[in-house]
Amino acid sequence: MHAGQLLLRKAGSALLTIGFVLVLNFFLFRVLPGDPARAGIKDPRMTRAAQAAIHQRFGLDKPVLPCLASLNPLRRGPCLVNPLQTQFFIYVNNLLHGELGISYHTKIPVGQLLRARLWNTAVLLSAGQTLAIVLGVAGGVLAAWQAHTRIDYAALIISLVAWSLPTFWLGLILLFWGSRYAGLPIGGQLTPGLAAAGTWAQFTDAARHLVLPTLTQTIIYLAEYLLIMRSTMLDVLAEDYILTAKAKGLSTFQVLKDHALRNAALPIITIVALNLGFTVAGAVQIEAVFSWPGLGQAIFESVARRDYPVLQGAFLLLAVSVIVANLLADLLYSWLDPRVQAAL
Amino acid sequence: MRKLFRLLLMLACGLLAACTAAPTPEPPAVARIGYGGSPDTLNPGTAVLTEAYTIFALVYDALYTYNLDGTYSLGLAESVDRSADGLTYTYKIRSGIKFHDGQPLTARDVAFTYNLNKAHAEYPYMNPYTASMESITAPDDTTVVIRLNAVIPNIESQLVFQYVLPAHVWQAHAAGAAAVEFENETLIGSGPFKLLEYKQGEFVRLGANKQHFSRPPKVDEVIFQTIGNPDALVQAVSTGQVDMITELPNAAAEKLGKAPNVKVVSAAPFAPAVSDIIFNQATSASCPSKSACTGNVALQDRQVRVALAHATNKQQLIDVLLLGKGTPGLTLIPNGLGMWFNNSLQDYEYNPAKANKILDDAGYVYNGEIRCAVPDCPYPSPIMNFRMYWPSDSVDAPRMAELLAGMWKEIGVGVQPQAIDPDALTALCCPAFDFDIMLWGWGSDPDPNLLLNVMRTESIATGSSETGYSNARYDALYEQQSVELDLKKRQALVWEMQRQVHEDAVYIIPYYEMQVQAVRTDRFTGWIVDQNKLDLSDVSSLVNITPVK
Repeated sequence: MHAGQLLLRKAGSALLTIGFVLVLNFFLFRVLPGDPARAGIKDPRMTRAAQAAIHQRFGLDKPVLPCLASLNPLRRGPCLVNPLQTQFFIYVNNLLHGELGISYHTKIPVGQLLRARLWNTAVLLSAGQTLAIVLGVAGGVLAAWQAHTRIDYAALIISLVAWSLPTFWLGLILLFWGSRYAGLPIGGQLTPGLAAAGTWAQFTDAARHLVLPTLTQTIIYLAEYLLIMRSTMLDVLAEDYILTAKAKGLSTFQVLKDHALRNAALPIITIVALNLGFTVAGAVQIEAVFSWPGLGQAIFESVARRDYPVLQGAFLLLAVSVIVANLLADLLYSWLDPRVQAAL
Repeated sequence: MRKLFRLLLMLACGLLAACTAAPTPEPPAVARIGYGGSPDTLNPGTAVLTEAYTIFALVYDALYTYNLDGTYSLGLAESVDRSADGLTYTYKIRSGIKFHDGQPLTARDVAFTYNLNKAHAEYPYMNPYTASMESITAPDDTTVVIRLNAVIPNIESQLVFQYVLPAHVWQAHAAGAAAVEFENETLIGSGPFKLLEYKQGEFVRLGANKQHFSRPPKVDEVIFQTIGNPDALVQAVSTGQVDMITELPNAAAEKLGKAPNVKVVSAAPFAPAVSDIIFNQATSASCPSKSACTGNVALQDRQVRVALAHATNKQQLIDVLLLGKGTPGLTLIPNGLGMWFNNSLQDYEYNPAKANKILDDAGYVYNGEIRCAVPDCPYPSPIMNFRMYWPSDSVDAPRMAELLAGMWKEIGVGVQPQAIDPDALTALCCPAFDFDIMLWGWGSDPDPNLLLNVMRTESIATGSSETGYSNARYDALYEQQSVELDLKKRQALVWEMQRQVHEDAVYIIPYYEMQVQAVRTDRFTGWIVDQNKLDLSDVSSLVNITPVK
């Protein structure tokens, strides 16, 4: 199949999936019990008029679908004739106009809120994932090359232990250790009040805030990458063409780089792509431990507060990230291994 | 040559003098406070979270100030005059007060704020404070006249949290949806602190308003930093990254108290709160239309509720759940409400034998495992196996349910414990009454009216009542206290209402939880810790603290 056709086919199926997610997102949160107008407010003074006003303000007074006032069985209402006046139509219409709505909780436009949170998460992710990928792949190659030596055993044991650690637990341990003995910040992204300081001061402060969450993420993901890389490399290194390469007198580095690594890279690319896609939702636990104002925390808080617009927006973003990451992995696959393209 | 030497010497001396004479600039005194949340919005009309109100109390002024000892004092108002019929209040506003942007604060701003709150039903907290106000006018720059539609005994509590907004800022956002959508990012107020910087979910940085008319802060800045993880909060104060934390897990209190330069303090919370064990007492007669009212019939009998009270070991609940940081509860009116709390009540002592006897005497047959829910156990009879629900976000409720199940088993009462999403539980609660027992709680206004209202017959249909309790005498007492302007007489009525509901065992109040906070002793001094109530993030402490020399 031609590369352009392949790209079109893949992009088409990705778009279809996103469309499905858009619809699912809408209903997913509305089948949850509870009322956003009352979430977080247990106040007998909150009058019915106030509740009605909040419902009206957020369009919650309108039925979800033309013939089902609400998916919540406790709040079923009469059928409505005009489908244009349903929450679902308004949701789709707004999406087509690029509007994700207003957060019920913070009253901030969802697009604005998610943009800020996504940036924070991206900063955290790029640092942690880059380190984990580089160290994990290098460690896996080294362990495989030195298979059944002390280096290999040490890499195996450390990786298995690191992979088994609960993320929040590791984060807490590093937090205690880092704040007490290394004087690193307890959490957040930047020391409050530093806005007036110079760029360099802000940069070093931001870097110090990044150390512990990045270290946590690196340790957790490094182990996964190392183990997979080691296992794949061991298979590849047993192949005849590696023996041939060695027989040709190539250096160890050349054998690993040109012959082994490229063939062993496919599973790692899959895992990295999947991880990148999913972690856009924010490394929820890491963000919670280190009070990192990322997307994961936004999702966590919004679930508790029934903040439908934020949840819809965040899940849409998450779905798009996973789909795009998978698409990229597919394309990368066919570039790395022409047999894949031929099979497609 | 000599001249040159002399010149150089003079120059050197001059430089030296200049260097030694130059005053070393004092670093700004910045108090850093760690807290678990963040304001949901800076718009006082739509804000819901406590963290938002903590900031509003520092940035805005109101006509009254609520003090740590539970009393009110005049704030922006310098005098108040009540008409003979109790329906008109005339406030004289202090002159010369300015907002943080330099514009004068006048009576017109006060009237504008109250009218704004009154006009917007979608202001969940502010709007109800204006419910009793018929009109609010400002005939001149220093006079505000509030005309009520009925006499109320607690005008102070209705005004103390209505923060005065600058009309010149809010005027453009006062009508329609704009009043809700306005983000109020500049947060211009007139209070002891002014907003310098705000990052939602990260921090709020406040600067001192040294020109404040009554409470100019001694520090230069206060920063509230969001640290969502409770363990990290403890670590933050322990390592000196913050100077005070507004909350901490009770389990961490003992160890943190031993850390160098850290002091852990506890007392009744400034914002009173109460935990409650709620019995569904809605009968077929009191059940609102369209409500389920599926409560176990046994809980409608006072004898059963009294027996359950005798079978509840409150001290054990306090020791296990709060690690001792609480006091046994009596009624829905918590001890944090000061003079309104009836401390003369004698609680039901923990005595399972007495509880058993009460149930036996009332005819609730016990087969050795469980009791019938109807006296004399006619066939077929429901049993005392109660559905016990609690909001799934509650930390203490699961353990409390487990402990209660163990205690009540001794008197032949079973429970079916279940955590339920808070909103779903609200739907089951009120006015559906589709439960037997719930473990929940209330936050309270400084005035008892809010919580007293919860137990009125009238509140059953509106969804405010969570028990379905109905007592004509209690209702009559409520009406009396709600128009009684004499403080002492009103206190007596409120105390009598508490005695009545305690006698009827409407709720079991397991405890009043203490506020536990921690502060560094090597950074600032002057935190207010010697009052009956505690809140170190309150304006009373933050305008009083000074750096440790």
